[in-house]
Amino acid sequence: MISEFLIKQIESVAGRYPHRGSALLPALDMVQRENGNSLTKEDIACVASLVGVSPSKAYGVASYYTMYNKEKVGKYHLQIDTNIPATLMGAGVILKHLEKKLHIKPGQTTADGLFTLDEVEDLGSCGTCPVMQVNDVYYENLTIEKVDEIIESLKKGIMPPRWDNSHFASQCNILLKNRADASCRMITQYQQKGGYKAFAKAQAMQPSEILELVKYAIVRGRGGAGFPAGMKWSFLPQNNKGPVYLICNADEGEPGTFKDRQIMEYDPHLLIEGILIAAKAIHAKKAFIYIRGEFRWISEILDKAISEAREAGFLSECDIIVHRGEGSYECGEETALIESLEGKRGCPRLKPPFPAVKGLYGCPTIVNNVETLACLPFVLEHGAEEFRKIGVVGNAGPKIFGVSGHVNNPGVYEYPLGTPLKKILEAAGGVKGNFKAVIVGGLSTPILTAKEAETLNMDYDACLKAGTMLGSGGIMVINDTVAIPPIALRTIEFYAHESCGQCTPCREGSVAIKTLIKGLIKGHGTKEDIDKILELCNTIMGTTLCPTGDAFSMPIRAMVQKFRAEFEALVR
Amino acid sequence: MKVFINGKECEAKQGQTVLQAARDNGVYIPSLCYHPKTGPAGKCRVCVVEVEGMRGLQTSCTVPVKENMKITTNSETVRKAQRLVVDLLLSSGKHDCLACEQNGACELQDAAYMLGIEHPTFSLADTKTDIDDSAEFVYREHAKCIQCGRCIAGCNTTVVNEVLDFGMRGHDTKVICDIDLPMGKSSCVQCGECSQLCPTGSIIDKKTRGKGRHWQFKTVNTTCAYCGVGCQLTLHVDQAANKIVQVTGREVVPNDGMLCVKGRYAYEFPSSENRLKYPMIKKNGEHVRVSWEEALDYTASRIKEIVEKNGPDVFSAFGSGRITNENNYAIQKFTRAVVGTNNVDHCART
Ligand SMILES: Cc1cc2nc3c(=O)[nH]c(=O)nc-3n(C[C@H](O)[C@H](O)[C@H](O)COP(=O)(O)O)c2cc1C
Ligand code: SF4
Ligand code: SF4
Ligand code: SF4
Ligand code: SF4
Ligand code: FES
Ligand code: FES
Repeated sequence: MISEFLIKQIESVAGRYPHRGSALLPALDMVQRENGNSLTKEDIACVASLVGVSPSKAYGVASYYTMYNKEKVGKYHLQIDTNIPATLMGAGVILKHLEKKLHIKPGQTTADGLFTLDEVEDLGSCGTCPVMQVNDVYYENLTIEKVDEIIESLKKGIMPPRWDNSHFASQCNILLKNRADASCRMITQYQQKGGYKAFAKAQAMQPSEILELVKYAIVRGRGGAGFPAGMKWSFLPQNNKGPVYLICNADEGEPGTFKDRQIMEYDPHLLIEGILIAAKAIHAKKAFIYIRGEFRWISEILDKAISEAREAGFLSECDIIVHRGEGSYECGEETALIESLEGKRGCPRLKPPFPAVKGLYGCPTIVNNVETLACLPFVLEHGAEEFRKIGVVGNAGPKIFGVSGHVNNPGVYEYPLGTPLKKILEAAGGVKGNFKAVIVGGLSTPILTAKEAETLNMDYDACLKAGTMLGSGGIMVINDTVAIPPIALRTIEFYAHESCGQCTPCREGSVAIKTLIKGLIKGHGTKEDIDKILELCNTIMGTTLCPTGDAFSMPIRAMVQKFRAEFEALVR
Repeated sequence: MKVFINGKECEAKQGQTVLQAARDNGVYIPSLCYHPKTGPAGKCRVCVVEVEGMRGLQTSCTVPVKENMKITTNSETVRKAQRLVVDLLLSSGKHDCLACEQNGACELQDAAYMLGIEHPTFSLADTKTDIDDSAEFVYREHAKCIQCGRCIAGCNTTVVNEVLDFGMRGHDTKVICDIDLPMGKSSCVQCGECSQLCPTGSIIDKKTRGKGRHWQFKTVNTTCAYCGVGCQLTLHVDQAANKIVQVTGREVVPNDGMLCVKGRYAYEFPSSENRLKYPMIKKNGEHVRVSWEEALDYTASRIKEIVEKNGPDVFSAFGSGRITNENNYAIQKFTRAVVGTNNVDHCART
């Protein structure tokens, strides 16, 4: 049942978007919250008719995203992330403990209906793993004792407050300059420290001047591909009469990555300022922040900051809407993100046309990562020349590196691009135990052996030369207590779970690789199976619709090639 | 324009895709998700080719031809990728061609044959069979679905009934009706467009099941007898039994392959016992077979007699939606001009 009140609320949400279809995801979420944290088929059909889409489309969406519960869940939904960093940092122990304590397995609910336990994928919190999401709240840096405290408190009906005891440091003091001071979330404090000066400067400039400035600074995209922002903007069609949209990609889904949230949570106005500068440069009158739904509290911080900025008159030329995802890694890919924002399943589109030509609602659209946009105020305020001085030209500017896994102080560290990996690992307290291997750019980048990583500099070109990629800058450190085959299995499980299912090599190829690795680990694999895995990786690479096929075949191939002996040892 | 396919100079038309150009020139490229009606989808990835100057493999169904383009459809790299796609599709479903209705008319089977795949390499299929037998005329078996999306595109964009979509994701992706209801309980109108578009045996015509192999049927192209639209269709006839066993729409004007539930599935009437096959006149309380001359003469003389005696308004003509506009025109003309009354009506008037 959907109440009159809720119908009105859904209407008002639908009114905020240029096309009402975009309200499908938020509407399903609102109904789920109202109706005891799960969605019935009838609810879904009801939402479909309210939003004005077919029932199958609404069900297709509801069954695509993981945050919609199609089955009843307990009062407290305990979600333990067991992705690679989590596994390296002890999530397995936490999960086992909870299973024993609550007498349930993942996917089950306690008899009293109080707790549902679930194993989930990366929560964008890798530096503070093990992490557990309870309903909307993240509990990070968990220990058995803390878990016990949380459960005891929940049994009494009290949600413990969340805490933040994560590590961070900054050499550049640009992106993380306000990380230690939560009061900077307030616009007054942000302005007192000089905020919105860069936007004022931009206001006095022509859009083309801003574009040239950013182009000259060479702000490479921090979302993973490292494509220069200014150049991307210049692909927008000239003499375009219709709307242009700017989308800030805050999906932060790549395992090993937890950098964008640091900016959004602690310095939301820095991002807003960056968005306003970019919007001015590309003539966008509407901007969206697409944030992963699990970061609900951060989306609320953003909402608050946006309304402050609106009150201050900064949004007079471009409005900003925060749009929450509902649980899908694939929606980080820019065209899948656009589909999702339009209220559809997160299936990437064929390219060309590229979003800059035909994106959101068929209009020219620029998608940029949070960190990319957050670099812009510095460029405007201090000039492109100053920006180029940080790091190496062509690989310039500050970068937030997220370090997780086997280091003493996992966390976020802001250094210039091109900083030696060694230095970043030292900042993170050094490697715990014997350094065996490292994944430097998020889970989709090829693994490096400790030896290969020894002299690596952390910039786009150097990483490419070393046979890997800088990606999102999510550094996952692995010591010699861990074997690679299980890591490979967990990696491919993640991609098989997140594959949108559109194209054959990714949808079925990921499952084929998973089956082979599982067979090896279970002891009934053969030497030929190892070659089959490599063959699959080689053939899948470059044959999929979107880059996700490459995103798992590259790292799996590297794991098998570089640690082949460990795989062969599994053959009986 | 000129293009080169596997080194051979070929003619291609502006606006064509590489796949269309290859087909026009008799070069086989396997394709599964592409259908001329639903357009390029780029999903199955089986149609990949190499194009000089373009990095990596390209899906031929989505790449437009360009003057002097050099296309390779048969290199080892291309074949390997194509084979992997077909192999994975075969591995992830229940493809027991011997028992399958679509045997001999299946695009997946054709691709496997052309690429020389004898057995699937992997076993990725779910063990549970997922059959939807709930609808009257359309039969679905999920284990034979290759997620090409043609049925969905058809249901939503050609017939616009908006029943089908994809549900779930990844390996679990499946075609759903409404809120994942059995088709028989959904808003489906049983037009059969999805069945006609499906390249495999995943959506088939229920009544045709077990009636014989596709290659055994004689095909007869004709016009649908149900209404004045005049949809073009093909009858699939079991000659030995002298029975129609399936009807498919022809992709020509006016229906472009689409049919309604009657045109596609209500095809038993030609062999009905009760069907009128010749003119009859009731003589002494019994219907007796007569010649066309006798029947027409009798009818004409009776109309004349009655109208002369009682005036033209006792006469009334009733046209039908099952005959053509021209026939209906003649009926009203006869009624007005010959008989002299405006008493004309039609079964589809309301
Ligand atoms: C599977 C996949 C997942 C992605 N996830 C993210 C993400 O979570 N955040 C992000 O900013 N970019 C992500 N990207 C990259 C985006 O597609 C896009 O390139 C980026 O947002 C552009 O911003 P930038 O140029 O500022 O880096 C992903 C790409 C792929 C293929
Ligand atoms: S590679 Fe294909 S199946 Fe995988 S996420 Fe991309 S479009 Fe979807
Ligand atoms: S769908 Fe095609 S490949 Fe599959 S069993 Fe039927 S005929 Fe064979
Ligand atoms: S029979 Fe027609 S209405 Fe029913 S699902 Fe198929 S295409 Fe859609
Ligand atoms: S049912 Fe047939 S047409 Fe529909 S997606 Fe599956 S294989 Fe394609
Ligand atoms: S948040 Fe735990 S693995 Fe990324
Ligand atoms: S036919 Fe080209 S991708 Fe399917």
